[in-house]
Amino acid sequence: MATKNKYPDIIFLGQPNSGKSALFNAIAGLKVDTSNFPGTTVKHAHSKVNFAGNVFNIIDLPGTYSLNPSDDIEKVALSHLFFEEPDLIINVVDASILGRSLELTQELIELGYPMVIALNMTDLAEKKGIKIDVKKLEKLLGVPCVPTVAIHGRGIKQLIETAIHALEERRPLSPLTWTRDVENKIEEFQRAIPDDFPVVGNRRFTAVKMLEVGKRFFIQTLEKMNPELKKARDKTRDDLEKMHGVPAYEVIAAERHHLAAKIFEESSEVVRGKRIPLLERVDDIIMHPFLGYLILLAVFLAFFFTIFQVGNPLEGLLLRPVHHLRIFLSDQLGTGVVFHILDGLLQGVGGGLAIVLPYLVPLLFLMSLLEDIGYLARASFLMDTFMHFIGLHGKSVSPFILGFGCNVPAIISTRILESRRDKILTTLLIPFVPCTARTTIILALVAFYMGPIWALGFYVFNIFLLGVLGRIISFFYKEPSPGLILEIPTLKVPSLMNIWKKTYFHMKAFVKFAWPVLIAGSVVLAVMQFFHMDRLINLILSPLVEKALGLPQELGVTLVFGFLRKELSLIMMLQALGVDYHNLMSVITQEQLIVFTVFVSFFIPCLSTVAIIWKELGKKIAFLSMALNIAVAVILSIIIRAFLSIS
Amino acid sequence: MIRLTNAPTDKQLKIVSLGGGHGMRRKLLSLGFHKDDIIELDSRSILRGPILVRGLTSETSVALGRGIAQKIMVEIVGDKK
Repeated sequence: MATKNKYPDIIFLGQPNSGKSALFNAIAGLKVDTSNFPGTTVKHAHSKVNFAGNVFNIIDLPGTYSLNPSDDIEKVALSHLFFEEPDLIINVVDASILGRSLELTQELIELGYPMVIALNMTDLAEKKGIKIDVKKLEKLLGVPCVPTVAIHGRGIKQLIETAIHALEERRPLSPLTWTRDVENKIEEFQRAIPDDFPVVGNRRFTAVKMLEVGKRFFIQTLEKMNPELKKARDKTRDDLEKMHGVPAYEVIAAERHHLAAKIFEESSEVVRGKRIPLLERVDDIIMHPFLGYLILLAVFLAFFFTIFQVGNPLEGLLLRPVHHLRIFLSDQLGTGVVFHILDGLLQGVGGGLAIVLPYLVPLLFLMSLLEDIGYLARASFLMDTFMHFIGLHGKSVSPFILGFGCNVPAIISTRILESRRDKILTTLLIPFVPCTARTTIILALVAFYMGPIWALGFYVFNIFLLGVLGRIISFFYKEPSPGLILEIPTLKVPSLMNIWKKTYFHMKAFVKFAWPVLIAGSVVLAVMQFFHMDRLINLILSPLVEKALGLPQELGVTLVFGFLRKELSLIMMLQALGVDYHNLMSVITQEQLIVFTVFVSFFIPCLSTVAIIWKELGKKIAFLSMALNIAVAVILSIIIRAFLSIS
Repeated sequence: MIRLTNAPTDKQLKIVSLGGGHGMRRKLLSLGFHKDDIIELDSRSILRGPILVRGLTSETSVALGRGIAQKIMVEIVGDKK
């Protein structure tokens, strides 16, 4: 971050589902520029905003329940918080569950950086019968609080003004006191910390975190660095454990828990029993043991139906000018190398614009919608039982669902899983989930030439294959899965702006990273074809393509390019066979079409997927994933070919 | 004292102990589920599937897998309100 030293950094931090991103987006609307880093280690949105002449860097960190990370997403949030000391924290709190939210708030107060609290979703809190005395809460916590309703933009102005004031004041916070005996133990241990120890925040915070942390790596490092301190830590921890009969981290968590409940009680008036009847009733149906599954199926079908209803006409509409331009080019330029290069360029640009984007945009939009409403968590709940069959649990459902969009974010989202085993298993299976690129191929080939029933059959078969593979892979990873612990957030009315922003960020990632690859790939193929270099690759691959799969030799090169982007295989298939879309069936048979689709769908995760697996889980798993996909694709294609030739 | 998986859905329950490994305990604590908290089971649980638990102290609903719910011990404190 080049701007780091020029403008103050303001970090947005809060528990998941606190409406933090909506608030961030409402403020980032005042942006100077916005950048987003998808798929890098620090996955956060970062924006420079200007408010009445004051410029800040605002940073949106992933939601975290506490400052003791339990999964990789939380680790990202915390490493940023600890290592890049912000000038101000805006703690976004879901006012409708104030009691629980105050536990994280207390930890942030212990950390001691200047802070402002955004009491978000106050409208929801009021509907639930919770009335918060903001002045009293401020006094109890020692932190300025501002009520907001992010999705309606309420309270934003006041929040920024309070933030500016807090930045000028730079008042460090003092921690709230716990029970006497616990406080005494912590004070005692705090004194054992030497002056040259690398303290985070302040001595007390560091002492408490050292008592809470359970990571073997940290404890071993401490032992090596300062065995005396490690001994003092262990003694304090054991004392706390003896005094209360539960592990030290639970003693400390309980202190915050009770204090949070007390502060909530003292600062808020609650009309008990006033729940939101409508949403409760909707939830009754969505999560019903029978109706719930029907709805899940309906959502799933509606999801794809909508995408194709939107995507299909758009595709037709956009393909026409591309087609005309192509004819125009060939009329003007003849068949020389210039035409080939321009044609390759056009195929790449046009393919991305007309074949990919029409399906990708509605898909990303609907995905964000499901996420924002809170449906993904409910789907995870419903699918938990089925996931046990493949050795996983409900939390893997949302990565799988995201996989239908694009495998890359799906694999990144496996960070929500607590155990490495679950992460590996889910990551190995995700490349078998048909992403938009593969769905496009299935629709453009199977549905277009053979009818929608065949495409649907292909999907059913694909899901069946996922089950079988999961069963087989989980056989090799026997260690039991820790099981499902998942918050079911209140159903929410989605904010269109928030959904649009999310869609836009993801779409931008495609345009910036994937599209150039598509374009470059098409151009390279065009040039290779002009110089007949593709023949060599086709010849090398012909034992596989021709002998084993029974496909035309010319398709060999498209498979190689399919590794870059799956859509390339489709776009280049026509290019390689030298026919246009409507005459495809004159050069290949239905059987060949099915075998080709099966092979292309499964044969290798695309380059970006392999790269992200490598980054998330290491080289070994990335190669394992490639080997698994190639093996499955070859075996499956041969079986299907044999089966089709008999019947 | 009974296991959460065997608890009735029409009563208020008090958590006696969280049990299980440290990872699971920490996760439950961070979601606001502590010893002595009052919770309720939701009737919408799926046969042999996860159960839905509502914490009255923290106003949070969570889905818990059977394996985890089995390790949480509770006692009945009264009827649901």
